[in-house]
Amino acid sequence: MSKSVHSTILVAVIAGSLSLGCGEDTTQQSTPIESSDGLFTPEIGTHGGSITISESSDPKSFNYMIAQETSSTDILKYSFEGLTGTHGVTTEVIPLLAESWSVADDKATWTFHLRKNVQWFDGMPFTADDVDFTFNRLVFNPQITSSYKDGLMIEGKEISVEKIDDYTVRMVTPVPFAPFLSQIGVPIMPKHALESAVESGKFNETWGINTPPKDILGTGPFKITEYLAAQKIVLRRNEDYWRKDASGNSLPYLDQISIVVVPNQEVELLKFQAGELDAVSVRGQDYPILKPKEREQNFTVLNDGPAFGTSFVAFNQNPGRNGQGKDIVDKKKLGWFTDVAFRRAVAHALDKETIINNVMNGLGYPQISAMSPAAVTFYNSDVPTYDYDLDKARQILADAGYLDQDGDGVVEDKSGNTVEFDLITNAGNSTRENIGLIVQADLKKIGIKVNFAPIDFNALVTRLTKTYDWEGLLMGLTGGVEPEGGRNVWVTKGSLHFWNPQQESPATAWEAEIDSLFNVGVQELDPEKRKLIYDRFQHIVAEQLPVIYSALPAYVTAVRNTIGNARPTAYARGFHDMAEVYRKDL
Amino acid sequence: MIPLLLGISLISFWIMQLAPGDYFSTMELNPEISRETLDRMREEFHLDKPAFFVSIDTDDGWSIGFHWDNQYINWLGEVIAPEFDTLVGIPIIRPRLNFGYSFKYHVPIIELIAERLWNTLQLSVAAILLAWILAIPIGIYSAVHPYTRADKLFSFCAFFGMSVPGFFLAFLLLYVASVTGWFPIGGLQSINYDSLSPLGQLWDRLHHLMIPTLVLGTGSMAGLVRLMRGNMLETLRAEFVTTARAKGLAEHVVVYKHALRNAINPFITIFGYQLSTVFSGAAITEIITAWPGLGRLMLDAVISQDLFLVMGNLLMGSVLLVFGNLSADILLALSDPRIRHE
Repeated sequence: MSKSVHSTILVAVIAGSLSLGCGEDTTQQSTPIESSDGLFTPEIGTHGGSITISESSDPKSFNYMIAQETSSTDILKYSFEGLTGTHGVTTEVIPLLAESWSVADDKATWTFHLRKNVQWFDGMPFTADDVDFTFNRLVFNPQITSSYKDGLMIEGKEISVEKIDDYTVRMVTPVPFAPFLSQIGVPIMPKHALESAVESGKFNETWGINTPPKDILGTGPFKITEYLAAQKIVLRRNEDYWRKDASGNSLPYLDQISIVVVPNQEVELLKFQAGELDAVSVRGQDYPILKPKEREQNFTVLNDGPAFGTSFVAFNQNPGRNGQGKDIVDKKKLGWFTDVAFRRAVAHALDKETIINNVMNGLGYPQISAMSPAAVTFYNSDVPTYDYDLDKARQILADAGYLDQDGDGVVEDKSGNTVEFDLITNAGNSTRENIGLIVQADLKKIGIKVNFAPIDFNALVTRLTKTYDWEGLLMGLTGGVEPEGGRNVWVTKGSLHFWNPQQESPATAWEAEIDSLFNVGVQELDPEKRKLIYDRFQHIVAEQLPVIYSALPAYVTAVRNTIGNARPTAYARGFHDMAEVYRKDL
Repeated sequence: MIPLLLGISLISFWIMQLAPGDYFSTMELNPEISRETLDRMREEFHLDKPAFFVSIDTDDGWSIGFHWDNQYINWLGEVIAPEFDTLVGIPIIRPRLNFGYSFKYHVPIIELIAERLWNTLQLSVAAILLAWILAIPIGIYSAVHPYTRADKLFSFCAFFGMSVPGFFLAFLLLYVASVTGWFPIGGLQSINYDSLSPLGQLWDRLHHLMIPTLVLGTGSMAGLVRLMRGNMLETLRAEFVTTARAKGLAEHVVVYKHALRNAINPFITIFGYQLSTVFSGAAITEIITAWPGLGRLMLDAVISQDLFLVMGNLLMGSVLLVFGNLSADILLALSDPRIRHE
C-alpha cells in the first residue's frame, strides 16, 4: 500500500506530459493484446547470459521462514524450494525436493520419497533431517513468528512429521486434508546451518539482510551473491542444481539475475525503455505508452489475463452490539443490508465496463466469482451474473418496497427511511478511489445515496476487525489458487468474515451451507469431487452476494524479445520459472 | 541538551501512537495469517504492552489507566541503560544505545541506518556544495550589479528554481535522460559497476550523482541566491560602506572585506541548520531517482509504522540539529567579533 501512496501523488503531473506523444491510442479501449494460450511447452535454451529485472522495494529478510513481504519472497524463491511446488502456468502441484509421494488408505498418512542428488549451496547433502528440522523445529516452533504454521494447522492440530530414513519422510494429518500437497510446499531450510540459531533462541534475527549473502544456503536454481541495500540484488547460477531440461541439459540456463530496486513505477518504465531492464510489469495507464514502441524497441507486451486478488463492495450485516451496548449497524440500515434484493439491485447497478475502461484503461476483466480466474483449477465461470441494467435494478428495488415516495430522487424503504449509507475504502489506492466514485455515481442513478469516504488503511482495519463500525465497504483481498486459503473469510466463525464475523452459529441458511461445503471440501481428496464442492460455494456467493465483485486488472508484462521461454504469469509474480528462462541473443 | 533530546523522544513517541493501528495491522486483512500468529509477532516486540504512561479506554464509559511498564519505557531503557565498556583501556560507563530492531527487517536499527548513511551523505554534501558554491558568488554579483540584465536573468532563474517542485524537476530530468541517453536513469551505480576500472567507477558514481544533486541543489540554491542578494544590497547601502568607499578603499576590498563579512551572518545560522539535514535525506528525490538513501527508509518506516526505526532516525536527526546549532553559534562567534564580546 505504502508504495502506491506516494507514487500516485507524485506522478499525476508527469503522466500527462509523458504520454503526449502517443495520446491517440488511448481512446481505443479494447485493443487486442497478444494473449498467451493455456498450453505452454518450454523450448530448449542455451546456457549463459544474464537478465535484469526490478523490484519496487528492498528485501526485508533473507530468512524465508519469517519473510512476510513479496519483496523478500520474490528473491528467496530463486534460492529455496519446498518438497512440492506449484507450476507457474498451470498452478498444478509439481514435485520438487520430494521425487514422489503416496497416500495410505486412511487418506491421512503421506509418505514422501526425497531426491537423492540434491546439495545445499555449501555442498552438504539434502536429507530427511532437513525436512524434519524445517517442520518440527521451525514451522511448529512457538518461538518463531512464521505464518506457514497457519496453513498447516488442521482443526487446531499440527501435522506430524517423522523421518523414516535419510530419504523418506512420513507425515500424518489429524484428519484427511485436501490442500495438503500445496500447503506442504514450505521452503526447506538447512539444519546444519540453522540449528544453533534455533537452540540459542535467535532464529528470528538470523539470516537478516545484514547477513553475508554467501551464508544463505538453499537448494534452488540461483544463489544470492551480492546485496547492496536499496540498490540491487545479484543472484548467480547454482552449478549443482538438480533439475534438467527435456534434452537432459542442466538448468538453469541463465548465469545471473540482477534485480535492481526501483521504488517508482514511472522510473521503472523509463528504465525499461532505455534498455536497462529486460522486463517490466505494465499498468493500464502505461499500456498506450508502451504498445506503439514494441517493434522499435524490440519487446512484446504479454497479457496473462486477470490478476489475482479481488475487488468488491460489501455491506455490514452484523446484528450485534458494540462495547457500549449500541447497535453496530443502525437497525433500519441492517434491514437493507441483509435484504438480498437490495444487494442484487446494487449488483445490477455496478457498471463494470466503465470501471474497466476508465480506471484500468481497458486492461481489466469483470469479476463474477469468489475465486479469481487466475486460480485456474478451482475457478467456476458458470455462476449467476448481474449485467449492468439500471431498469432491472430499479425494478428489483421497487418490488422489494424501496420507492421514491417524496420525489426527491432518493428511494425510501417501506418505513419511509431514506436509503443512504457511507461507503469506505482505504485512502491512497487511486484505483479503488476511482472505482468508489463510479459506484457512487451508479447507485445515485437508481436512487441510492452513497457517501463515499476513503480513510487511512489502518483505521479501516480497526473498523473492520475490532469496532465493526462501518456500513458499506469497497475493498480487495489477496487471493490464491487454494480455496481453503480463504477459509477465514468464508466460514461464519472466521475473523475476516467481515460482513458478520465470528458468529456463534450461522445467521443464515446459505452461510451454513458454505460452512459445511468448506468442512467437506477440506477433507475431499478426489480433485473432481472437490472441484464440484467449491463450484457450489462460488454459486452460493454469486447468488447471495455477501460481497459484490467489480473488476480485476489484467496481469500485463512487457518483455524484451531477446528473452526466451518468457511466460510471465500472475501466479508466479513474474516469469513462470526462472530456471527455464534463457537469452536468445548469445 | 539531554533533557531536550528526552523531550523530543517523548513527544515523537507519543505522536507515533496517535496514528491508528500499528505495523502489524496491515497483516490483519491477510486471510492466511491467523490472529494467534499476529499476537506472537506483537509480543516479540513488546507491542502487547500499553504504549504510553496514560491510556484512555472508551469501550465501556471513560476510564483512565496509568502504566509504568509501557513501550516507551522499554525502548528508552534499552537506549540509556548503563553499560560497562573500555575506552582506550580505561573502564568507562556509557549508555547502551540499543535502538532496537526494525519490525519489518528484523535487523538492528543501527545497521539499517549505517548502510544507507554514506549514500545520503554523498548526495546531501554534493547538493549543499553545488548550492553554496554557486549561490554566494551569484548573489554577490547580483547585489553589486543590481537591476542589470545579468541580475534580472539570475533573479528569474532563482524564482524559477524556487517555484519548480523538486519531484517535477526530477521527472523532467529523468525523462530527458531517457530520451537523450546522456545520464543513467536513477540508481547509485551501473549494473556492471564491479567490472569497471577505478577511474571508471569514480566516473560512474559521479554520473549517477548528477541528476539527484541538480534536483536537490536547485531548490536550496535559488533561496540562497535571493537571500545573499538581499542581504548584500542592504549592507552595501549601509553608512560604513559609504565611509569605506569615502576612505578611498578599493571596491573589491569594500565588497569582500567589509560588506560581505557583515552580510554573511545569517548564512552561518543557515549552515548550522543544514548540517542537521545532511543525514536526514530527501525522501521524494531519493524515491524518484532510486537513490538508496535514508530519506526513503524513513518515509517507508513512517508509513508502515515501523516504530523503532522511526524513533532511531528521529533521535539521530535531533542530535545533529543540536550539534549543528552549536557549531553555527561557534562559527558565528568566530566570524563576528560583536557576538564574541557579549
